[in-house]
Amino acid sequence: MPEAALTENPASDPTATAAAIDVEDLKVHFRTSAGRVRAVDGVDLNVKIGAFHGIVGESGCGKTTLARAIVGLQSATAGRVRILGRDRAEWQSQDRKGFARAVQFIFQDPLGSMSRRQSVQQTMEEPLRIHGMGNARERRRKVEELLELVALPASVLDRLPRSLSGGQRQRVSIARALALDPEVLVCDEPLSALDVSVRAQIVNLFARLQAQLDLTIVIVAHDLAIVREVCSAVTVMYLGRVAEEGVARPLFADPAHPYSQALLFAVPSPDPRVEATRSRVLLEGDPPSPLNPPAGCRFSTRCPVAVGECRASEPTLRGVRHGGRAACLLADRTRHPVL
Amino acid sequence: MTSSPCSSIRGFAAPGGSDIQFSKLPWLVLTPALVFVFVGVFAPFLMTHDPAAQDYTAILKSPSLSHWLGTDYLGRDLWSRIVGGARTSLVAMAFVLVAALVIGVVIGSIAGYVGGLVETILISLIDIALALPSLVIALALMGVFLGENFDWLSDYWKMVLALTLAWWANYARMSRAVVIAELQQPYIEAARVMGASHLWVFARHILPHVLGLVVVYASADAGALVLAIATLSFLGLGVAPPTPEWGQMLVDGMSYIEEYPSLVVIPGLALTAVVVSFNLLGEAFALQKVPRVLKGRLLRRKRAARKEEDLARTKAESQA
Repeated sequence: MPEAALTENPASDPTATAAAIDVEDLKVHFRTSAGRVRAVDGVDLNVKIGAFHGIVGESGCGKTTLARAIVGLQSATAGRVRILGRDRAEWQSQDRKGFARAVQFIFQDPLGSMSRRQSVQQTMEEPLRIHGMGNARERRRKVEELLELVALPASVLDRLPRSLSGGQRQRVSIARALALDPEVLVCDEPLSALDVSVRAQIVNLFARLQAQLDLTIVIVAHDLAIVREVCSAVTVMYLGRVAEEGVARPLFADPAHPYSQALLFAVPSPDPRVEATRSRVLLEGDPPSPLNPPAGCRFSTRCPVAVGECRASEPTLRGVRHGGRAACLLADRTRHPVL
Repeated sequence: MTSSPCSSIRGFAAPGGSDIQFSKLPWLVLTPALVFVFVGVFAPFLMTHDPAAQDYTAILKSPSLSHWLGTDYLGRDLWSRIVGGARTSLVAMAFVLVAALVIGVVIGSIAGYVGGLVETILISLIDIALALPSLVIALALMGVFLGENFDWLSDYWKMVLALTLAWWANYARMSRAVVIAELQQPYIEAARVMGASHLWVFARHILPHVLGLVVVYASADAGALVLAIATLSFLGLGVAPPTPEWGQMLVDGMSYIEEYPSLVVIPGLALTAVVVSFNLLGEAFALQKVPRVLKGRLLRRKRAARKEEDLARTKAESQA
């Protein structure tokens, strides 16, 4: 697995301090017949240039909404998103194409994200045509380069997306996103539609592309094992808020937030000896409804170590032992007794 | 499956998609409609006489070598009038169909794409137009157009205009439905993320779907339109007398129906044949779009095609 992506960890590189994505107190609320759904409710996120940033959390925690809001597919209720130092909304309204050349998005369902009546060639050429880049021959050459980049044979060019396998489809959609040479790639669960066997290949592809093209990648995932393998930085989300964030390796080694601990301990280990002895935190029940988040710490209703204080006020992110930040009153105070 | 997507007409027919495949069109069904179009287009070469020329030496003749289908009460050649009538119907139909399609697609697409208040207003307009039968609207409009304010229009163009204004609403309703359905597809978002403008998204991704459906519907609608043209002429509101027109011919022949039934039967048959052939065509198109239980040969063919596709996929995968 891509050890390379880990060793040249850009998050620890002092020269790479500029922010590729800077999200400030972002709120995305949906108005439904049942009330306001607070999908994203005050999130701060900082992704450094060159980082491979993972966003993890349960289904419904707002991670997809966050990713969509970053690229402007979802309008924010409040807060701001800055990308490469520029205000996202302003940039996009002034120079839609310029923004697209800087930031690209990869969808969860590769098949749905491609027109069912366009061949792979037409699909991959489309961004170039939208941006009026090159003539037919130059576009064709670019498409071939991209195919090589994502390791697809030229024989797929004349096929329709639906006649490709899941892995091939996702490779095509990655290639299409890279056609404009973006600096930032935001991926919304790019792996969840894939077979487990194919996932590893696509993860490797992401890691290779990131190193090869100096990309900044934000990847939304609920598969922690993958995030642990490739990401340099991680944000753990719970119910529309950031529970914990930090550099991937130390965070995974010593998670401070009980929710991160529970998530992490839910991942089975490939080593049977570790698997037999490892401790687990079992979360009971479903996450509360984002229509009506609990008072105090949002995790307090399911937290195995919550104390009365937790239900009184909502904790803010503060520095913890692993160098990142966690939104937990009890973080680092002691090692939690159950763990 | 068509082997190469490039072999299809871009935009209209996607290979193997939910759209019409020209290679698989039932020619048996297509032929009658094509014959009508052929007759209409080449009418001047097929007519043996001037369809308007009166010949008092040959009134109400039975079929002969010089008059293949006989003559009417003014000695006009029936064959030439039938052929000329085909041309009149075809041209009027084409004008109305194209105009109604354009108006319908534009209004429906705007309603579907823009949404909000614009959509509410347009959809109300469409619903009002759809609440009345098209022919009733056309008749009412003809009544208006026959007034003095519209003297600058010939009767022919009044008819075309009236029918167009009576016919667009269905296309608008369908276009809006397709636009709304397509807009919800994630690939539209993908195109937007790639920096595409609304115009690009509409022209490249939505319009082909709209046209794909609307053109199919229009092919079935053509028969009804030919009938409506004949109806208006029959009522004396359409094409003016010297021009050959089937509805006209029915009126002319009615007075002689007992002695010379062919004067009514022949234009009636022509009309029936055209309506039936377009209905068959529309039906065939519609059946291609509707999923149904496959049996026998069709099922075997479908299975073979699927197998082939799977094979190609695994081959490509092993290459990768």
